[in-house]
This record gives sequence, structure tokens and C-alpha cells, in this order.
Amino acid sequence: MIIQVVSAFFATYLFSIIFNISKRQLLFCGICGAVGWCIYLISLPLNSVVLSTFLGALAVRILAQIFAVIRKTPVTVFLIAGIIPLVPGAVLYQAIYYIAQGEYDNVTLYGLQSLKLAGAIAVAMVLVSSTYRPRRIKRENNGLCSKNK
Amino acid sequence: MNYKLLFKFALLAGDIMLKNGAETYRVEDTINRILRTSHFRVIESFVTPTGIMATLDDPSIDMITYVRRIDKRTINLSKVELTNDISRQYCQGNLTIEEAYEELLTVNKKPTYSKITLFIAYGLVAGFFTLVFEGHYLDAIVATVIGCSLALIHFLFRRYELNKFFYDIVGGSVIALMAILLTKVIPFGMDMNVIIIGSIMPLVPGVAFTNAIRDTIEGNLVSGVSRAVEALIVAASIATGVGVMLKIYYMLQGGVGL
Repeated sequence: MIIQVVSAFFATYLFSIIFNISKRQLLFCGICGAVGWCIYLISLPLNSVVLSTFLGALAVRILAQIFAVIRKTPVTVFLIAGIIPLVPGAVLYQAIYYIAQGEYDNVTLYGLQSLKLAGAIAVAMVLVSSTYRPRRIKRENNGLCSKNK
Repeated sequence: MNYKLLFKFALLAGDIMLKNGAETYRVEDTINRILRTSHFRVIESFVTPTGIMATLDDPSIDMITYVRRIDKRTINLSKVELTNDISRQYCQGNLTIEEAYEELLTVNKKPTYSKITLFIAYGLVAGFFTLVFEGHYLDAIVATVIGCSLALIHFLFRRYELNKFFYDIVGGSVIALMAILLTKVIPFGMDMNVIIIGSIMPLVPGVAFTNAIRDTIEGNLVSGVSRAVEALIVAASIATGVGVMLKIYYMLQGGVGL
């Protein structure tokens, strides 16, 4: 498991380079990815895959928000990097694999699984986004100026 | 106040952010914040992943409306970061409008990572993801080689400005083909599936997917749906590439037909 978490750190770190994230943030992106994957692995024996993905995504989302405030950077930077290990690429591949083999029962199984995982990540993000939001500017004057008409 | 320059500045900031992978609501928020510093009465912006529309109006000036079409989108989050920083500094009053505009013009010229770095990064991403998904270290080495070749295809497609979805199809099929060939050639007990799973990670539409969810949450339904469709098409392209190669492989082996 330690090997997996360490690889998750390096994988996320290097992925951030592909996304052209600046050098100063790379380390924090890596930490986001590693923590998310660590939480996922810890909760995997106790819960279903979907719930574990949810908890992992929740951890990434909270950590990204904290880093965004500390590093004064858009939260997207950490979020996109950190979520990558949890994105259901492997399950999607399994679905394709069984399409190629013509075993449609398994295609349905893995296809639905990847949808469930995507949903779990979505819900994790909704939870944090709805409870925490930075100050937004208000719209004061909707509609056009009367003088100019 | 040079309001035309302000308007140009706001649009350029929005343009850079949208082109390089920021969420739609962030672009709208940035444009509105910059335009608000003029204290004019009407400030509106409407942003979708494919275009920006913005209006500035006041009794003291002629109305300005601008539509800008965005046709090419890449991912370069350091530019989003820089633009965000400049617009924030301008809104806090640390920069004048001229300084901020000058600085914004240099953002596009900021050096990105070199091709060598990207080449190594692509390879090692594939290798480390193979380890993450419980692959053997020999699997990881093979995946690294495949990742490096994916980087070469990426450079080729970028140089000739070829279609992104076509790149996903070609990338997927090259990954599957190389994984099949390498596991056949090297006489160790390697797991082809784990290698393919690790190697397709650089192609997986993580950004489109994450941004689709975030835009939908923020109420930008048009952007949310279009980004979700983008993610779906990318996934389908990778699936097509990998699937075709696997299908050919099983046919040659005399496996089950579709």
C-alpha cells in the first residue's frame, strides 16, 4: 500500500507537468493526489468501491480548498491534479475490454460502475462547493441603461 | 479612465483563462470583477466553452458589446494561475490598467515545460499509474516505454495541428498495440490489462470531467453539458482506439466474435 500511495504522489506530480502547472504548485498537487488515493485505499476494505471513491474525492476537494487559500491559487489547479487517480479510467477500460470480447453482461456491469464512480466524485464536489464559497461580486443593475436608449 | 483598454483587458484575461482550462464561472467572475472597477452601470458577461460575450454600458459612454469565439482549447493551468493573479492584483489596486494589460500580454509568451520534460513526464505518469493500479514493476517499465511513445504522438499531432479526438483514437490504438506486442515479445509473466490501464491515464478526460461537474454545480448548465459531452466523446475515442486493437488481437487468436 505504501508503494501505491508513493506512486500516486509521483503520478500526480508528473501529471501536473503535463497540465503545465507552475513549478511552485507541483508538490502540493502531488500531495493532493497521494492523500486522495491513501483515503481511498484505507476505506476500501471497509466500504464499497463507490463509497471509497466518494471519501477519496471528498478528501481531495477539502485539501484542494485549503491549499487554494494558503497558496492563493485557483482551486482548479489542485483539484484537477488530485482527482486524476480517482477518475474511473480503469473501470472504463474493463468495459471496453469486454466489448471487444463480446461479453455484454460484463459491459453493462462495468459501464454502470464507471457511471456510479463519476456520480460519487460529483457528489463529493457538490458537498464542499455548496458549504464553502468565496465572496462573489453581486450584480446590481440588470438590464440596460435607460438614458442610452 | 480608459474604458476601452479596460474592456480589452477584461476580454483578454477571459480569453486566456478559457483557452487554457479554467471553469466557465471563474472566467465570468474574473471579467465581471475587472469591469466592475470602472463603476459603470451595466456590466454583463456570458461565457460558454466556445465563446465569450460581454457588454459594458453607462450613460457617459457609448455601449460596448463584444463577442469572441474560442475555437482552440488546451490545458495550461499555469496561464490560468498567472492571469488570475494579475486580475486580482489589478482589482486590489496594486497595478494600473496599463501595467496590468502589458503584463497580461506577456503571459502567452511565458515559457512552458520543455519537450524533454514533457516526454519524461508522459512516460513516468504511465509507469507510476501502473504501480498505483497494483501492477508489477516490470509492467511499470513497459508502461513507461508506451507513455514515452504517446508523448511522441502528442508532439506530432501538436505540430501539424491535427484534431484532438483523432489524437485520442490514435493514442488509444497505439497503446493497445504496443501493450499487446511488448507482452508477447518479452518472455515474463506480464499483465497486459494493467499496462493498458496505466498507459491510458494521460488520455483520460479528467479536466473536462471535473470542469463539467463544477460548471453544472455553479448553474452554468450550457457549459456543464457541453463539457460533459466533450468528456464523453474523448472517452469514446479512447475506447474506439483500444477496442479496435483488442478486437483484432482476439480475432487473430481465434477468439469469440462480436
